[in-house]
Amino acid sequence: MSETPAAKPPEEPKGPGLCGQFLKDHGIATTRLPDSCNVETIEIDGAHLEAAMKLLRGSSEIKLDYLVAVSGVDSADTFDSVYQLWSYTNNNELIVKVRVKKTDVVEGQLPLVPSLARFWSAANWHERETFDLVGIRYYGHPYLRRILNVWDWDGHPLRRDYKQLVDALNDKAPGSMR
Amino acid sequence: MATDTEVDLTPRLKTDEMLINMGPQHPATHGVLRLILTLDGEIVRHTEPILGHLHRAQEWQGQNRTWFQYQALIDRVDYLSGMFTSWAMARACEVVDGCEVPERAEWLRVMVSEMNRITSHLLWLGTYLIDLGAMFGFPFYPFREREKLLELFEEIAGQRMMFNYIRIGGVMRNPKDAWLSKLKRFTEEFPDRVDEYEAIVTENPIFLKRTKGVGILRKELGMDYGITGPSIRASGVNIDLRRTKPYSVYPKLKFDVPVNDRDGDTFDRYIFRIREMRESNEIIKQCLDMLPQGEISGKKQIAGLRVKAGEGFAAVESPRGTLGCYIISNGSDRAYRIKWRNPSFCNLSILPELLKNHPIADVMAIFGSIDVILPDVDR
Amino acid sequence: MRNGAEILKLGTLTLVWWCIIFGAVWAACYIVGILIPMALSSYESDAARMTAETCRALTPILSVLVFIPINAMFMVLFERRGLAIFTVRLGPNRVGPDGYLQTAADAVKLLFKEDITPRGADAFMFTLAPIVFFAPSIFGAMPLLAAVTNYHELFQIVNLPTGIFFILAASSVPVVGIVMGGWASNNKYSLVGGLRSAAQAISYEIPLVLSLVTVCLMAGTLDVVQIAKQQAGGILNWNIFGGGALRGLDTALALKFSNQPPALQELSQKSFDQVLKSSYVEPTMQAIGLGAGQEGLAGIIAAFAVVILIGSILIAYGLYMTGACAEINRIPFDLPEAESELVSGYNTEYSGIKFAIFFLAEFTNLFIVASIAAVMFLGGGDCPVPAWLGTMLGGPVIESMINQALTPLIQIKLVDPPTLFAAIWVILKVYGIVFFAVLIRGTLPRFRIDQLMDFGWKRLIPLSLIVFVLVVFAREFVNVHVGS
Repeated sequence: MSETPAAKPPEEPKGPGLCGQFLKDHGIATTRLPDSCNVETIEIDGAHLEAAMKLLRGSSEIKLDYLVAVSGVDSADTFDSVYQLWSYTNNNELIVKVRVKKTDVVEGQLPLVPSLARFWSAANWHERETFDLVGIRYYGHPYLRRILNVWDWDGHPLRRDYKQLVDALNDKAPGSMR
Repeated sequence: MATDTEVDLTPRLKTDEMLINMGPQHPATHGVLRLILTLDGEIVRHTEPILGHLHRAQEWQGQNRTWFQYQALIDRVDYLSGMFTSWAMARACEVVDGCEVPERAEWLRVMVSEMNRITSHLLWLGTYLIDLGAMFGFPFYPFREREKLLELFEEIAGQRMMFNYIRIGGVMRNPKDAWLSKLKRFTEEFPDRVDEYEAIVTENPIFLKRTKGVGILRKELGMDYGITGPSIRASGVNIDLRRTKPYSVYPKLKFDVPVNDRDGDTFDRYIFRIREMRESNEIIKQCLDMLPQGEISGKKQIAGLRVKAGEGFAAVESPRGTLGCYIISNGSDRAYRIKWRNPSFCNLSILPELLKNHPIADVMAIFGSIDVILPDVDR
Repeated sequence: MRNGAEILKLGTLTLVWWCIIFGAVWAACYIVGILIPMALSSYESDAARMTAETCRALTPILSVLVFIPINAMFMVLFERRGLAIFTVRLGPNRVGPDGYLQTAADAVKLLFKEDITPRGADAFMFTLAPIVFFAPSIFGAMPLLAAVTNYHELFQIVNLPTGIFFILAASSVPVVGIVMGGWASNNKYSLVGGLRSAAQAISYEIPLVLSLVTVCLMAGTLDVVQIAKQQAGGILNWNIFGGGALRGLDTALALKFSNQPPALQELSQKSFDQVLKSSYVEPTMQAIGLGAGQEGLAGIIAAFAVVILIGSILIAYGLYMTGACAEINRIPFDLPEAESELVSGYNTEYSGIKFAIFFLAEFTNLFIVASIAAVMFLGGGDCPVPAWLGTMLGGPVIESMINQALTPLIQIKLVDPPTLFAAIWVILKVYGIVFFAVLIRGTLPRFRIDQLMDFGWKRLIPLSLIVFVLVVFAREFVNVHVGS
């Protein structure tokens, strides 16, 4: 299960989409990634995340004011924090990714991504969940605490290298998937 | 004795806030939610929800089971609306895979999902009344109708709650004509039953007293927290994926999405769910009339079922709100990453805001009204 | 129709259990109160006489002790089966024939359950609480025994001249037990439940007592036996219908339908306001300046007063039922044990026998408030058919036939016809009210505590005071309980 997503056939790099252009107009650089199922997908540097989100949420024409989900993905060589943005009023959609290279993460520490929870309440629990399961530390989060696992759980289960500690139950059935 | 004349007039009675631990083994927390309430007298000042007592690592399982195996598991994510979880994953896989879903399968999906929406709302209605203290009596009436639908589900899917009926690429089984006529009979009598519930509940003075003006959810606050479903529609935000991001055959159907024109309280959330049940019933009627003939699955249902590489997000409108599924596939027989966006999880996050400054008796009235299913929260 | 079959089953179950309950109670009373003294009467010693007297004196308490557990068992079963019918279910029908023994099995289970005292609880108080809660329901209902058995010789001993006063005093004691239990459990839910209960009991006792005081005022006595006896003679004499205020109407009806008994022959010729005259108080009319010759006006005033009186008493009955529901913590006033908020309130931490005692007392209290209602408002052991109509329908003939059939039993004092008939009516009335309480339980959601207090203090108490004052005035104009 350690295979990585098969590399997609390299697509023609398109110009920035609606939101990318909008952010570019406001001086925030983004990289356009291949669309995921016809939804514009951009990558953004962690440092600009909060400013970009504020712009996207506040502007009257884009108005991406509905944070659907924050997901963490342990990709081949990066940790991705993926934000699905929708709108309550129009049909705009956007996927924002913040990628932290695994090589940049200090040994024994968690990858750092800025938190949105301070100005977007919806992000609060999603970020806690991502922290809990994938192990991305959202700095600036008011209460970054494990939410689904118990507070003293070891490790982050959705990491590809996660190994559950062998307990008595697993001992008896070594072939078990657990 | 010089101090005789000095009388200490400062109040001796010390009042303190009380911490009370509601759940996880509380009869009214719908499963195993734990709320740590800070009470000032009987008034809630602060709430901290503790989740995870039902955590079953559904996302982890998604990475470690084949698609085919995992299909059967995900009904358990939200056990009251299993059709929707199946459908969300099926849609996500179809979007990524690009496979065609036959027309008949889409109609069947809409039909069974709306049936499922009705059962879910019916169960909510019953348990909500229990939350309000009508321990016996009324709560059992919705279960009577729910039972009829569950029997229909059992007939078509072999299961009453964990259907595994909607599959990647289509649906599992073709309904028989007898099944369709049974369903038709149900849709004909169901509006009368809803009238019956309304006759008992909607104008009950105690019910009105308990719900009107309680737990008002401001529109802006709800949007800030990403609330979806009937809870936010009762507060005046028109977001229903069946209309705003139409999928499947919903564009061909005629139905209303009831939206409130003001900030909703618990009573509004009740009344909008009731209206939604009526609309769902209408949708089922139309589906029965317009159901085309043809294939029911566009993908071979085999154990080695594979989804093409890629990533995608798809959502359906579940009884509780936007139920989304984000998958990353690497073309193998199992997901590389699967992430659920559960409406209950997001809707529950607003609970501390709603409970603030309400008496402890309203905790359950408000918590019940946002219709949270704990397995859906904890996954 | 499945529902019909279920109702029939509930009826059968009720009849069978009634036979069990009252058979057992009467058997115990008969053996201790009549058989043993009879057997002892052949011995001419002081010790024998003393023993006989003691046995007779102990009969009432014995009857209550036998009655309470069996009755609670039946009432729980009755409630569960009744609720099941209201809620389109079947209810318990597995243990014993058609579920008849379900609650008996539950009782056995509760007795054998481990009796846990939580850590940190005040063990003494924790044990005392169920006792304090339960004891009043044993001694509190004593005076009622005399009323519901039509003053049977065995139960005369428990009658008090201030009966209803004593009953009310006793029935307010249990709240102390609840607070005790709530406090001693060392559990916040229990504590809140106990305190809520205290607040609730204090606020709802006022309308409850005021509505009963209204009745006592009408009756002019506190003695429950007297109150029950006054209401004899059919449904129109019951306190709930103004306690004979409608006697005029009654008489008119009697004259219309009866075969003109000679004594009433001349009355039948008179006009309506003269018929009404029999129901108003002449001295009062004269006092406000309506003497002879103004019967028409006096009749109108009297009719008006009768309407007010009956309306007030009906409201008082409603107030009593509301207050009683709150007093015994039943839905919609079950705040102290609000399951969805406080887990189970004051009895959260109780298990085994202590919980069983709480449970027992709760159902006994329901029975007691229902019997108070039956005695105070619904005529006690009185047959609802008016006497003249009963006579027309051949009541006395049937009665004498029954008497004749039971002659051997009457001779050995196993059956006492006046008590038997009174008891049957009381049973029907009391369980009718219990059934009503079950119906309420199957219908209404629960109040919130502040709304409950609002409702109690701002609605019920003023209303009960108004009713009280209205009855005081109306009673002066209307003949109530005169001549019976």
